[in-house]
Amino acid sequence: MSAITSTTHDQDALLRAGIDRSLRHPVMFFLTSGAAWLAVSILLGVIASAKVHNPGFLSSCPLFTYGRVFPAHINALVYGWGMQAAFAMIIWLMARLSRKECTMIGTILTAGHVWNLGVGLGVIGILMGHGTGMPWMEFPAFAWPVLLLSYFAIVIGPFIQFRVRPEGHVYISQWYLLAAMLWFPWIYITANTLLHCVPGHPLMGAGINAWFRSAFIFLFFTPVALGTAYYLAPKVTGRPVFSYSLAKLGFWSLAVIAPWAGMQKLAGAPIPHFLPYLGAAATVLLFVPCCAAAINTLRTMLASRDTLAASPSLRFTVAGITGLIVLAVAAVLLNLPGSSLRLTQFSLSGYGFEILALYGFFSLVMFGATYFIVPRITRREWLSRSLIKMHFLFSVYGLITVILFTLFGGLMQGMGQEDWQSAWSPVAARPYAVATTFAWCLILFSNIFFFLHLALMWLGLGRRSTHPTLLVRSHHGSSPHGEEGDIDNAGPGHAATH
Amino acid sequence: MSLRTFILGLSASFGVAWLAVIVVPYLKMRDLAPIPFPESKATAGIFIPKRAGRVADGAKVYAENGCYICHTQVVRPTYAGNDLYRPDWGGLKNDEDRGDTRRETNAFDFTGETFAQIGLTRMGPDLSNLGRRVETQYAAGGDPAAWLYLHLYNPRLNPKLWDSTCPPHPFLFEKREIKGNLSADALPIDIGNNRQLVPNADAKALVSYLLSLKKDHAVPASLNFTPAKKEDGN
Repeated sequence: MSAITSTTHDQDALLRAGIDRSLRHPVMFFLTSGAAWLAVSILLGVIASAKVHNPGFLSSCPLFTYGRVFPAHINALVYGWGMQAAFAMIIWLMARLSRKECTMIGTILTAGHVWNLGVGLGVIGILMGHGTGMPWMEFPAFAWPVLLLSYFAIVIGPFIQFRVRPEGHVYISQWYLLAAMLWFPWIYITANTLLHCVPGHPLMGAGINAWFRSAFIFLFFTPVALGTAYYLAPKVTGRPVFSYSLAKLGFWSLAVIAPWAGMQKLAGAPIPHFLPYLGAAATVLLFVPCCAAAINTLRTMLASRDTLAASPSLRFTVAGITGLIVLAVAAVLLNLPGSSLRLTQFSLSGYGFEILALYGFFSLVMFGATYFIVPRITRREWLSRSLIKMHFLFSVYGLITVILFTLFGGLMQGMGQEDWQSAWSPVAARPYAVATTFAWCLILFSNIFFFLHLALMWLGLGRRSTHPTLLVRSHHGSSPHGEEGDIDNAGPGHAATH
Repeated sequence: MSLRTFILGLSASFGVAWLAVIVVPYLKMRDLAPIPFPESKATAGIFIPKRAGRVADGAKVYAENGCYICHTQVVRPTYAGNDLYRPDWGGLKNDEDRGDTRRETNAFDFTGETFAQIGLTRMGPDLSNLGRRVETQYAAGGDPAAWLYLHLYNPRLNPKLWDSTCPPHPFLFEKREIKGNLSADALPIDIGNNRQLVPNADAKALVSYLLSLKKDHAVPASLNFTPAKKEDGN
């Protein structure tokens, strides 16, 4: 009996090792180029933020005028880092959960290069002054078909893997990832064809753009990050997901509520009045799916405090899920028609909300997953505990500063705008921008090292050891994993302990 | 649950919202029915939104240089914000000929543009009636285009706007040799070497567009939601 179990164990470990080996280059490609784009985006964010309090900064160069740097910053963050990190998660998690090796490496890598080329040309296009002027869709019009086609080439493999998977349980992670894979093209094609190809009313165009940004966050980045968190939480702690019915509630409530959200940015604009208020109501209701998923994953992770203290993956994921709870609360507090919506509609807090979703929630979960996945696919351990700790501390403290100052600064700014009896003053946002610039510098610092750390791992320069890099140093002379050893000598049985 | 049911469920939950908030409103708003305007004698009883200037060209420059990030172009009704109460956002509180011209933005105000630049934040003031403001206040008695050119070149050259956070746009101007007289729209800045600063084609289009932002013309009663005003304003 035990011999049979051990054989299945070995086969299992071999299968996982095979999947990991097959995905080494695509996943590392997406993560590393994504991290490079993240650093570029944050650098552009620092420049943009510095120009808010110091408008003469770099002003002689048309490339770096505020109105071009800011959209370049957001688009590089969304398409350069966000989408590529999501691709890495989708291809790796779908292969692992469907228990199939990836057979489309060539296609995925080629499409990945095309994607990077599209993003690169798009960002250069914005900086050269060819942006379209539609937020989050500022890439010149040539870029979207290129990005869309490479998107299909990247996700078709994981989709087929899911179709041909051995019969068995479908994990909640797969639900979220599969849904994100289907929602994204629907949203992206809708917004781009309507705005680029089917001329309509200019105001409805602005409405669709606002809906696109909200749907992108809540129907792509959110499900990808939740799918990842639902994988990491039980996997790293070794415990089952806290509640499967809560998971289902979270998933279907997101699917039903999120598509209605977004148009509250047009409250008071002359479009049919039900649209903005429906959007505000849906955004407020998003509290339910966000909290359901957050509580579920947090309860799973908090059940195992020791692992939580030691594992870099869990530490980042817990921080990201905390970001999700803040996001859910912010969705309620910033979008109440009649009280807060009028203050936040045209203030810094819109940017704060987007950064909170993209960085405070999505990116932190992606970092957590990166710290989990990369040692498995490169068969090397992370080089340095302190680099990971530094990445965490600078990201989280930087982020808290950005979020606090943009959300609350935005509210203060909104109150100033609404106070019609005082003369208009342009300086309301300045002190908040100084703090934001400083915080972005911290985040930039941490992410440059994250990128270098990743690049070294991809080059195969990680630690050759069977001991994972944990956040706490072991107190005992010997580790619970046994003797320190060379990973290449460890058989499949060792791989199974990971 | 099979993949088929799952995809059907997703399509239903997304598709209903997609049709209701995107597709149907978009298609219905593509062709707005003409609005009767019986009060007006000039236009045969139909409301014809008018706009003069290089709207399409200028809107492109406006979009490419990201003006929409700091400037909005919507004057919200009073239930959604206090924009209308400001003395010069929704129109003019005391126009010489027409009195209080303030009104909220309507669906015809973006005639000639393909995308309404509602805007993201209000780090700068709303521009719905910028053209009106420049003509009657900022450049009162002077040349409105010249005021805007100087403002675009560097907003802080104007002593009243010393604390403006608007970025300078020197790249919208070219240095050209002075042959004989100064060019008519040259900036009043001496850069020496017998040279002058003149706006380039983008700057001209942008200024023409900005001067076309006068969204306070009279509208038919069916579009006029502004509450009846007392004689003394507000």
